[in-house]
Amino acid sequence: MNFFRDIWNSIVRRDSLSTDKGKSELVFLNVWLHIHPAKVKKEHLRFRHTFYLGFITFFLFIILVTTGIALMCYYRPYPSQAYQDMKDLQFVVFLGPFIRGMHRWAAHLMVICVFLHMCRVFFTGSYKKPRQFNWVIGVLLLLLTLGLSFTGYLLPWDQLAYWAITVGTNIGSYAPLVGGQLRELLLGGHTVGQAALIRFYVLHVAVLPGLVGLLTIVHFWRVRKDGGLSRPLWKLERKPVEELVTIGAPAEPAALRVSSAAQSKTYGLMEVVTGKPIFETVSPDEEEDTVFAYPYAFLRESIALMGTVVGLMVISILYHAPLEELANPAKTPNPAKAPWYFLGLQELVSHSALVGGVVAPALMVLALLAVPYIDRNPSRRLRERKWALWLFSAFVVANLVLIIIGTFFRGPGWAFIPPWVHVVAGAE
Amino acid sequence: MNRRSFLGWGAAGFAALCSSVAVSFGAVLRYLVPDVFYEPPQTFKVGKPADFAYGPPTFLADEKIYVFRDREKGFSVASAVCTHLGCTVNHFQSDDRFHCPCHGSIFAANGAVVHGPAPKPLPWFEVTLARDGQLSVDKDKVVPSTYHLMV
Ligand code: HEM
Ligand code: FES
Repeated sequence: MNFFRDIWNSIVRRDSLSTDKGKSELVFLNVWLHIHPAKVKKEHLRFRHTFYLGFITFFLFIILVTTGIALMCYYRPYPSQAYQDMKDLQFVVFLGPFIRGMHRWAAHLMVICVFLHMCRVFFTGSYKKPRQFNWVIGVLLLLLTLGLSFTGYLLPWDQLAYWAITVGTNIGSYAPLVGGQLRELLLGGHTVGQAALIRFYVLHVAVLPGLVGLLTIVHFWRVRKDGGLSRPLWKLERKPVEELVTIGAPAEPAALRVSSAAQSKTYGLMEVVTGKPIFETVSPDEEEDTVFAYPYAFLRESIALMGTVVGLMVISILYHAPLEELANPAKTPNPAKAPWYFLGLQELVSHSALVGGVVAPALMVLALLAVPYIDRNPSRRLRERKWALWLFSAFVVANLVLIIIGTFFRGPGWAFIPPWVHVVAGAE
Repeated sequence: MNRRSFLGWGAAGFAALCSSVAVSFGAVLRYLVPDVFYEPPQTFKVGKPADFAYGPPTFLADEKIYVFRDREKGFSVASAVCTHLGCTVNHFQSDDRFHCPCHGSIFAANGAVVHGPAPKPLPWFEVTLARDGQLSVDKDKVVPSTYHLMV
């Protein structure tokens, strides 16, 4: 049928995928796919270089947006309605508990994956020149993810929600000079009430997801502009530097050979247009180590996507998202705990609100942002960056230890109670 | 137009642009600060003196205050909001102290911090007798813990 073929051809304008040209055009001519290069290095597809953590984080975000929009169809951000709507989602909405579970567990997983992704980038030294600024964007994305979680958990308007936000925003008010005003601005008032709920809702469903979306685009774009992913560490170990040349350094004949080879192929278009986006040091035969993004990269990314979705579905069928009692401003639950990823902060705060709640986190964030500018050691080889590895590991371990103490070792009144000691409820 | 006046006008224009951006920014920020708060009032009546028993303080949940009534000294009102991060403290009769469930602060019966992390004592609020014979509390008026109202 010419009619249908015309329609098909008006949508899909590439050559057949059996040809190399078709495979390249699939990427170039598609607005969603062209964030990929037409050909990718085989080494970048290796699981043990990236663990696909960045992709999984992104997929989780997509899942959060879709399930979040589904939740928005029932949820009303008003104190007298919000908790009611959560109960409806739990008991009377078809698939309600499942959608809520997906949203809740994806949020937890996203926090974990963002963090692990950051660790991967650090340990492989992938924040070094020319990728410094993309690390900074990544740190902002980490903060935004935490912000989404923070604003998200006021929304169910249960006890956890109410007290976590009361405590959390009070921490903010310890910030010097602007603290008090900052809290008032965030809450739209002096206590956590209706004004706070609508503001958190706006941040949670519009402002923060929007910012995450925008920064994600920048993040991905810069991965490409910084010359693709970093080289896996095992490739660095293999060849001494002298044998390598830099693509795009025109003085080297070998380099010219590589780029002219690329020019003669359609998939080299990006490289021709932008001059020399690749700052990586590669050997002349490196070019042969590439494969077409279709199907190799797309297949792997699809598997990561499927794995994420299916894994989350299974978790959401097995476990429902918890919901505590209706928020009660008069009665603070004992112990009042924030979700696990903020319990490290809560542990710090239990020692001092100013130092633990403001100074220490602020220094931590500043240090993270500055990592690529402080660490000026150009080497990415593990054994040449002992200091950096020790320091970062200490940072990770400190965070984990604080979270573990806050989660398992703190009982009523925030007293230090090991998990193996049983506390009789209500004994005060 | 000569080079000098061009630069002058350019600089003036740039300054005007910057200041209008700054003003707009400030205006948006100000927009976000409400002028009307739909919150419980800071001054409120809590009932007739006879409604309150002697002995352990009465906790008023909505107002987050403890009302004390002492035979000799009369009425006094303490805040039930922990000065650390705002959790509601519980008054325990067993030791006549306030305990905060969030991070373990303990306050003495007069509001003083016995155990951190709370940085400040619990504040006491002014309590007066209104014309209609009810007790009236003003949370905007902080008084020393020795303040009492005898009726
Ligand atoms: C990185 C992204 C996100 C994170 C980490 C996140 C986190 C959370 C958390 C922790 C909750 C409380 C969940 C619960 O108690 O069940 C929540 C609730 C909610 N979220 Fe998100 N969220 C994200 C994105 C979104 C987006 C993009 C939307 C909408 C466009 C959205 C809409 C909602 C709604 C309507 C609720 C209230 C319903 C509920 O509490 O289950 N979320 N979110
Ligand atoms: S809020 Fe009372 S001890 Fe932290």
